[in-house]
Amino acid sequence: MTPMRCLELFRRIILWTRRTEDAILGIALLSMALLPVVELVGRTCFGTGIPGATEYLRHLTLWIGFLGAMLAAREGKHLKIAAALSWLPPRASRIVDCIGAFISAAVCAGLFGASLELVVAEAPGFPSWTAKIIPDFIKQWLEPFGLFQSGGLTTVAGWIPIWVAEAVMPFGFAVMAIRFILHASKYSWVRVLVGLSLPAMILLPPLCSEFASELVPPALTLLVVATALGMPIFILLGGAALLLFWGHNVTVAAIPAELYRIVASPIFPTIPIFTLAGFILSEGGASERLVRVFRALFGWVPGGLAVGATLLCAFFTTFTGASGVTILALGGLLLPMLLKSGFKATFSVGLLTATGSLGLLLPPSLVVILFGVIAHVPIIDLFKAGLVPGILLMIPFCLVCIWHGVKTGAGRAPFRLGEAIAAVRVAKWEVIMPVFVLLLIFSGFCTLVEASAVLAIYALIAETFIYRDLNLQGVMTMLVKCAALVGGVLIIVGVAMGLTSYFVDAQVPMHAAAWATNHLHNKWLFLLTLNGALIIVGCLMDIYSALVVVVPLILPMAESFGVHPAHLGVIFLANLQLGYLTPPVGMNLFLASFRFERPLTTVSRDALPFLLMMAAVVLLITYIPWLSIGVLQLLR
Amino acid sequence: SQVIKLGTVAPEGSPWHEAMLEVAQKWKRLSGSKVTLRIYAGGVAGDEEDMLRKIRIGQLHATALTSGTLRTIVPDIEVISFPMLIQTDGEFDYIIEKLGPEFEARLAKKGFKVLSWTTTGWVHFFTKQPVITPDDLKKGKLFFWGSDTTYVQLLKKSGFNPVPLAITDLLPSLQTGLVRSFAAPPTAALCFQWFALAPNMTNLRWQPLAGTTIVSLKQWNKIPANLRPQLENVARKVGTRLRKRIRKLEKDAIAAMKKHGLAVHPVSREVKEQWKKLVREKGYPVFVGPRFSKEMFDTVCSMLDEYRRSRGL
Ligand code: NA
Ligand code: NA
Repeated sequence: MTPMRCLELFRRIILWTRRTEDAILGIALLSMALLPVVELVGRTCFGTGIPGATEYLRHLTLWIGFLGAMLAAREGKHLKIAAALSWLPPRASRIVDCIGAFISAAVCAGLFGASLELVVAEAPGFPSWTAKIIPDFIKQWLEPFGLFQSGGLTTVAGWIPIWVAEAVMPFGFAVMAIRFILHASKYSWVRVLVGLSLPAMILLPPLCSEFASELVPPALTLLVVATALGMPIFILLGGAALLLFWGHNVTVAAIPAELYRIVASPIFPTIPIFTLAGFILSEGGASERLVRVFRALFGWVPGGLAVGATLLCAFFTTFTGASGVTILALGGLLLPMLLKSGFKATFSVGLLTATGSLGLLLPPSLVVILFGVIAHVPIIDLFKAGLVPGILLMIPFCLVCIWHGVKTGAGRAPFRLGEAIAAVRVAKWEVIMPVFVLLLIFSGFCTLVEASAVLAIYALIAETFIYRDLNLQGVMTMLVKCAALVGGVLIIVGVAMGLTSYFVDAQVPMHAAAWATNHLHNKWLFLLTLNGALIIVGCLMDIYSALVVVVPLILPMAESFGVHPAHLGVIFLANLQLGYLTPPVGMNLFLASFRFERPLTTVSRDALPFLLMMAAVVLLITYIPWLSIGVLQLLR
Repeated sequence: SQVIKLGTVAPEGSPWHEAMLEVAQKWKRLSGSKVTLRIYAGGVAGDEEDMLRKIRIGQLHATALTSGTLRTIVPDIEVISFPMLIQTDGEFDYIIEKLGPEFEARLAKKGFKVLSWTTTGWVHFFTKQPVITPDDLKKGKLFFWGSDTTYVQLLKKSGFNPVPLAITDLLPSLQTGLVRSFAAPPTAALCFQWFALAPNMTNLRWQPLAGTTIVSLKQWNKIPANLRPQLENVARKVGTRLRKRIRKLEKDAIAAMKKHGLAVHPVSREVKEQWKKLVREKGYPVFVGPRFSKEMFDTVCSMLDEYRRSRGL
């Protein structure tokens, strides 16, 4: 074969692998939406659903997370804090990129090793007859890896060994490491240099283990600098977790163990499925039809569309609970609607980023229920206490929307009955969607996950068969795009939890609570410290983990200062919302940056005015307990 | 000095947590501060499966597991919490006393050392409408927590309508009516406020929930050999005392829930036989053999017969 034909064959293989990868992801994402629907139909009509459906769903989330993250690495779509540095000369900027790729590959290699350790530990040992065959010196060498130990076997839905399901983690990290190396440069010699990160990760940790704890601070600094210069955020979080666990002599397999726990938790399947539903609607051109409906019905209200978007986001959050889902599911649909109606981009992006966490306090929010369960507060009391604060948080948003509407005249139109009827008639399949979902949930027909899946499938049918805005090719492209986004998000959430689990392991929250108990002697000082601490917690942890880890610690303190537990719940959740918007690491900023495909810096700047407004309200509800407790007593 | 990290789902300040704190304190004194038991309570280290995973990788060293998770290590242990089999505290203690050593030996083979056998109480049905006979329970959907497909099959074969959900779904689904009943120990029903939405309890001990505190042998063997028996002794004593305390706590929990509107429905001897018959006919084929060995099941049955005869029952 000539070199040319060789190259051609190679290119074809690459193309074929890419297509296979895309197809696998698309199918996985579609089955995530189909599975709960089949389970629901089976259960309702035939009394027998799919045994283990929830289990499959949890692990599909994990798989989609990792396959999507691999795809994001292929496409260079992992979220970064800084965009390319424009002020650097091109050559210097290329060198910086290569250093970033070197660190990224090294961190991925480290995470690969950590997840491999987890998988081996979870796998049953080699069968006993292998002990006779394998020579002793090899066995001695293999023993520390736990290949001969079997501590029992956990399975998915009773038959898939859990280590098989978890194997996607080492696989995904390995592929990402290779992709970071290959994408570092077009020159082979540079790739080889960057590829040295792999042997470095094998050799350095054992060589440096003696002064591990001294190495942690400089290495962390390096990670932070590299992130500021354009390295993906998940590398910063994962690298920091690796360093801290390694530096304090705890197994790094703790990172994938925690990553698995959070990404494969029962609450997470709503994220990919709702995101998918949002993608189908936005790619299917629903925003244009819905803009028309909105303009025809509410065009006479100044800023009506923006107010509507705010209320819709808050409403969506009240029953999805996890604030991030709102941005992923509705953001892509609402942003084009706002822009098309003439709202400014900065305003629209800021608004939709900030509304991602509105509504968390209002019924039937799941996080409020969980707070009640963990803190032993009657749930109904919590909802009563959260009523006024929840509404107060929305009022400034609505006022700003109206003010913006008056100023720009965006989305204004006189009311005409004929146009209103025509617009609704065209968009009727999309307009009935929210009602449909709410009926499903509140009639006791299905769970939230199932409702999200029904919504996604319904949207897919509406956009492909009724409106015919999506063809097969369009669906495929959309699925891949959606999966890359979900992967990018889940990998960040996952490694962030890995990092958080280091702090839990080292009992940092407990020590902080002990410090606060000893040093804070004034109720107001305690509340102020709580405000600050919770913003940091909101930056680091997802809301469910924050509930489990932090609430038991602050509860006794709050009690000793005479803070009513229901008031504490309101403060707690309201402050976490702020944390999700706080630059540079607020989770909702990440999600918005991903969904709106805008740099993190832009999104942060756009959301800042809204963040400040929310902060003012949060201070108000923290220091005027009457707003929650007084209302609670009034409603008794 | 040696740190043993122990994770538990028991909430901070609960009797289980207090018992662990007591063990920690006594270990510290006995070992002259050489052995520290560090406790991660309230599920901060995850649920039972997560903690078992963390023990396998060596991040955690000890945990308290119920039989549902223990069976992934030694399947036969599940016999002690099979529905409608062991029926009284006395029977439970007798079986643990007789079979404990056998289970412990099997766990040791898998790398785990047992520190104590305790309990989480008796699982009861809590329902929206009163349930007395199996047919009453068959009418509504039953919440089922988790991933145990074989157990779901047992419930389905018995004619119930289990809906497998996540634990966080329980309150919302009771609210919307997606499920109308759930099975749980009374202490949990009170602690997590579940009973408020299903205020009827069937006074039937569906199954005991055994709780076992285990530590990885790898870590345990790092403790000086002369210290180990003393530490184990202390842990076992505290565990036995905890078992008694939990039993009292369960009565208190039921009384407390009654005050808040729980109705407890008595089950007559004849109806109880109906429940037993149902499990015997529909449940045995699913569990005895496929899930745990018939030998172990027969052993437990004959031990129970022996015990009941000796008490003149
Ligand atoms: Na193993
Ligand atoms: Na929202």
